[in-house]
Amino acid sequence: MPSESAAAAAAAMNSVGEACTDMKREYDQCFNRWFAEKFLKGDGSGDPCTDLFKRYQQCVQKAIKEKEIPIEGLEFMGHGKEKPESSS
Amino acid sequence: MRVWSSEHVFSHPWDTVIKAAMRKYPNPMNPCVVGVDVLERSVDAQGRLHSLRLLSTEWGLPGLVRAVLGTGRTMTYVQERSVVDPAEKRMELCSANLTLTNVVSVSERLVYTPHPENAGRTVLTQEAVITVRGIGLGSHLEGLMVNTIASNAKKEDLALPDGPSSPWRTPSDARLERQLLFHSDVFAKLLHLQGDSQKGFLDKHRFLVTFRSYC
Repeated sequence: MPSESAAAAAAAMNSVGEACTDMKREYDQCFNRWFAEKFLKGDGSGDPCTDLFKRYQQCVQKAIKEKEIPIEGLEFMGHGKEKPESSS
Repeated sequence: MRVWSSEHVFSHPWDTVIKAAMRKYPNPMNPCVVGVDVLERSVDAQGRLHSLRLLSTEWGLPGLVRAVLGTGRTMTYVQERSVVDPAEKRMELCSANLTLTNVVSVSERLVYTPHPENAGRTVLTQEAVITVRGIGLGSHLEGLMVNTIASNAKKEDLALPDGPSSPWRTPSDARLERQLLFHSDVFAKLLHLQGDSQKGFLDKHRFLVTFRSYC
């Protein structure tokens, strides 16, 4: 089935959060389809992927906090951590 | 310090290039990129799509990282912001590394637009700024980057497995994705350097670096 090969093609990339990889792949599939078939053709309304994205985002936010990745200007970053200037 | 800028023409229409740019990982041209995440995404009032993505990149030589940085961590991260304007047919991406900024800071800006004379082609203009503070590092780094880009350009014709294909991803798409990688993601490419070039690069770079965002 075509969607299974497309899923296989997307399946090789992981998420920064190991637990989020399946959600990421599901969201990516939804997004890539909407992006190609709707958005680029001028129909940017009605994003069908919002629920998938919310669940995926929650998982990734948690992983980023746990790994202390210094994302700049991200709204959900609760702690205003300064970028450390360390030598070496 | 502006190090490198270039222009490249792809023999594909803009829509095709943009779709490939969104899907360019996994990519056999750079197996160091092991994760891609979307952190934010929205459509603005003008109908443009804004995205913030995180690329998780594994350092090629974990032992070397430990020796230089004194840490067991082998993952480093790149932040990529993009705006796609489907009406104007313009995609702009801005990326910068988030970690290893005490060694090097790479900031990169890419703009994809249709070729003004041929709708079947797409122009990429690209600028990368590498900021390092140290004696004689600018020219050394510049030489290293130019060599890396030149050697990548030669590999462009090598046959590589296209990976799984489908109605949504033909072998032509896969080739385009590889081509896109030749002309972008400077920091991830830097990590992909092999052996002596990488060691030489690291040995000279134990300096404080000022992170300056080009984006």
